[in-house]
Amino acid sequence: MTLPQTTRRLFLKSSGLAMFGIGTAPAWLGRALYAADAPSPRKKILVAIFQRGAMDGLNVVVPFGERRYYSLRPNLAIPRPNRTEDSAIDLNGFFGLHPALSPLKSIYDEGKLAIIHAVGSPDPTRSHFDAQDYMESGTPGRKATSDGWLNRALASEKVISPVRAVSLGTGLPRALRGQNEAVAIANLNDFQIKDTRGADTFESMYQGTIDQVLNGAGRETFEAVKLMQSIQSQPYRPAGGVRYPNGKLGQSLMQIARLIKANVGLEVAFTDLGGWDTHVNEVAAKPTQGQLANLLTEFGGALAAFYRDLGDRMADVCVVSMSEFGRTAKENGSRGTDHGHANVMFALGGGVRGGKIHGDWPGLEQEQLYEQRDLQLTTDFRDVLGELVTRHLGNPELKTVFPDYGKPKFRGILSA
Amino acid sequence: MQKLLTRDQIQTLRKGTPEEKQSLLQSLPADTRDQVLTTVPQGMRQQLMAAVDPESRRKLMKANTPQQVVPSDLTEGKLYRAIYSNRQLEEQMVDFWFNHFNVYLEKGADRILTTSYEREAIRPRVFGKFRDLLEATATSPAMLFYLDNWESVSPDRAQQIPGRPYGPRARQLAQAKAKAKGKQARGLNENYARELMELHTLGVDGGYTQKDIIEVARCFTGWTIQQPNLGGDFTYNDRVHDKGEKIVLGVKISAGGGRNDAEKVLDILARHPNTARFISTKLAKKFVADDPPPALIDRMAKTFKDTDGDIRAVMTTMLESKEFFSAGAFRAKVKTPLEMIVSAVRATGAEVNYAMPLGNQIAELGQPLYRKVEPTGYSSANAEWVNSAALLARMNFALALADNKVPGVKVDTGAFLADPADAARQLLFGDATEQTIASINNALTQKQPTPGLVAGLVLGSPDFQRR
Repeated sequence: MTLPQTTRRLFLKSSGLAMFGIGTAPAWLGRALYAADAPSPRKKILVAIFQRGAMDGLNVVVPFGERRYYSLRPNLAIPRPNRTEDSAIDLNGFFGLHPALSPLKSIYDEGKLAIIHAVGSPDPTRSHFDAQDYMESGTPGRKATSDGWLNRALASEKVISPVRAVSLGTGLPRALRGQNEAVAIANLNDFQIKDTRGADTFESMYQGTIDQVLNGAGRETFEAVKLMQSIQSQPYRPAGGVRYPNGKLGQSLMQIARLIKANVGLEVAFTDLGGWDTHVNEVAAKPTQGQLANLLTEFGGALAAFYRDLGDRMADVCVVSMSEFGRTAKENGSRGTDHGHANVMFALGGGVRGGKIHGDWPGLEQEQLYEQRDLQLTTDFRDVLGELVTRHLGNPELKTVFPDYGKPKFRGILSA
Repeated sequence: MQKLLTRDQIQTLRKGTPEEKQSLLQSLPADTRDQVLTTVPQGMRQQLMAAVDPESRRKLMKANTPQQVVPSDLTEGKLYRAIYSNRQLEEQMVDFWFNHFNVYLEKGADRILTTSYEREAIRPRVFGKFRDLLEATATSPAMLFYLDNWESVSPDRAQQIPGRPYGPRARQLAQAKAKAKGKQARGLNENYARELMELHTLGVDGGYTQKDIIEVARCFTGWTIQQPNLGGDFTYNDRVHDKGEKIVLGVKISAGGGRNDAEKVLDILARHPNTARFISTKLAKKFVADDPPPALIDRMAKTFKDTDGDIRAVMTTMLESKEFFSAGAFRAKVKTPLEMIVSAVRATGAEVNYAMPLGNQIAELGQPLYRKVEPTGYSSANAEWVNSAALLARMNFALALADNKVPGVKVDTGAFLADPADAARQLLFGDATEQTIASINNALTQKQPTPGLVAGLVLGSPDFQRR
């Protein structure tokens, strides 16, 4: 750790190796935590959640004011609000939350949870594979895009943290791939040399190697490892006795909260939750039972725990959820729904203009449906993400983040 | 479980050594054993998989995650071949061509089509004529499904419905009818046509236009699959084929050619000089260096043209070249995750009786096998594999392997040499750098060295990451 930052940067640039890792000042590590000149410890942070498999938005934020919702879904519809736990939770007299999302109701009432309905990708595909790919690359209809929107959303900075962009899980998702350094972390506690006898030795090998490619990346790795050690050394206790659900999403959000509170320079985080492809047994005997209710219990519980755990820190944080497409307006023959079009997104955070359902409601009458079967799209997902990237993360370069999209129409999801 | 086993027995299944688990299962009556295998909770499954015999493992998988059986067989097969085959170059070539003509295992029917794709379309032709390989992939159900050509139909297919008038009015009627049925009006899908030229043959700057893509897509209409979800074969459906004249890269393909339209396209592309150059460059980037010498590419491309795309001849030109043995090519490539893990297992002489944990490790290093979503396949460039999480995973794998902590893999730690320089020579088939040896020596003075630790440090060293 002897080269000052500028020297190493120049060296990397001039040797054409910059692509292997944008250098970070090894020296800043020691002072990273809470130091005045640490890389913007109170940066704005964007957390993206991908609900893989196509969530059934119509049963998640229920249009109970539409009579046709009930005729389309005789076995699946969530009953109109009736103050029992088997009915929708009234939001505004027309829409209601699925009862399994009850932990989110008070956050909605506090004005920190915004809902965007009839939103999604304009591409007509009903293939999970293509639609996820398009939503993560941020370029619907274009397969050749090699990087992801969330990676492009990172602005170029002089001093950056080795953990500015983190995906919770193994492997880097499409949304985070690209030019900017991004790390996949399955578990914060595992981000280390597990056999402690090896740690110093590897560090000295990689620091001393004349192999320039491995030397640069090795330095970054051990910088990130050291950063993690400072986090790993203290057991994590969520604030105020908050308990995260045990599933994947709860655990991922807990680790993201931990990174945020540690002030290690996190800017964007990504995590996902699969299983939303509810062709069969979407709703069991009661609305609070079945595949969808189970998923929403985890989803709502995890989001609420994250919000409570971060407390005041939510002022800097925005969480946004998305799913590749919605599901058919009409139920199918096996207590489920098939692949559809528009869907629902959630945005949660201190700066969110919540307590409100954004977007235009297209209706569910036959002629109002997309291809006469699915919820029509009235908001492009890039309008939502574009607003968050520009107004929350402060990156105005939307032409880079969402190429070929022209000018996104902000919906006022963030308060002015 | 509680009804089938005593508490001690459950403890053994949970925490015992692989041998203890195996002998416990052997001691149970056959029907009890089967019941245990079908009811074992998820958390214990992976550990148990590595401990039991292949037959029990299969029962375990079939009962709990049947959808994993085919992908798991495919992955294990690839790893056993990579580790134990005497024909290492052939395995490298199967990997190279599969990746070149990539399909994604998780896309719908490709879950069941990928196995035969690799075995029947790719493997027999890796040293053959490029044109044959191209034909085999173009007609494979896996590729037709992956790049959507199976559902590409002539936009004017209204004209093929007997007794209907031709022309735009008929087309409008057909589309309106399809829409009324709630189906998307089907039409031309350009996906395969584009990737065929961009990724399989000419290369991204290979001199084709958007017009060429549409013309090629028109030629391929009707190349489809019988019942994709039942693993159906290739078939040519003349009813949905675009019967008009096409012009591809300036070459006229006359009307009425039927299935032969696409064959002509493949002829044009396989023999195009840009294809010779594109394929030669990609091979040299994989086997020589990220930035291979232009003179070498020229010679390889010439061989390609002179031999009508004979892959064996192109490889011979490359492998016998002075550039291949030059200092610039020496250890110029960072091993891919597959190469790193397989070479570590081979170098240690490990015995593998269950390869899935190795497959999972390869995924953790960033290269999930058969699961590259994009048609580009994995890049062979060093930058693709060098990032924090992946490097850390390499080091952890190295230590775990040499310490016998990778499930399903057994290393004879007694065979490792204790002296770092000797151990390095043993595993690297050459001398390690001074820095690596010095770091290990330094570590040994401070800690309790075991031969496994020394070997693990060598396998995780920068030296071992290169080939």
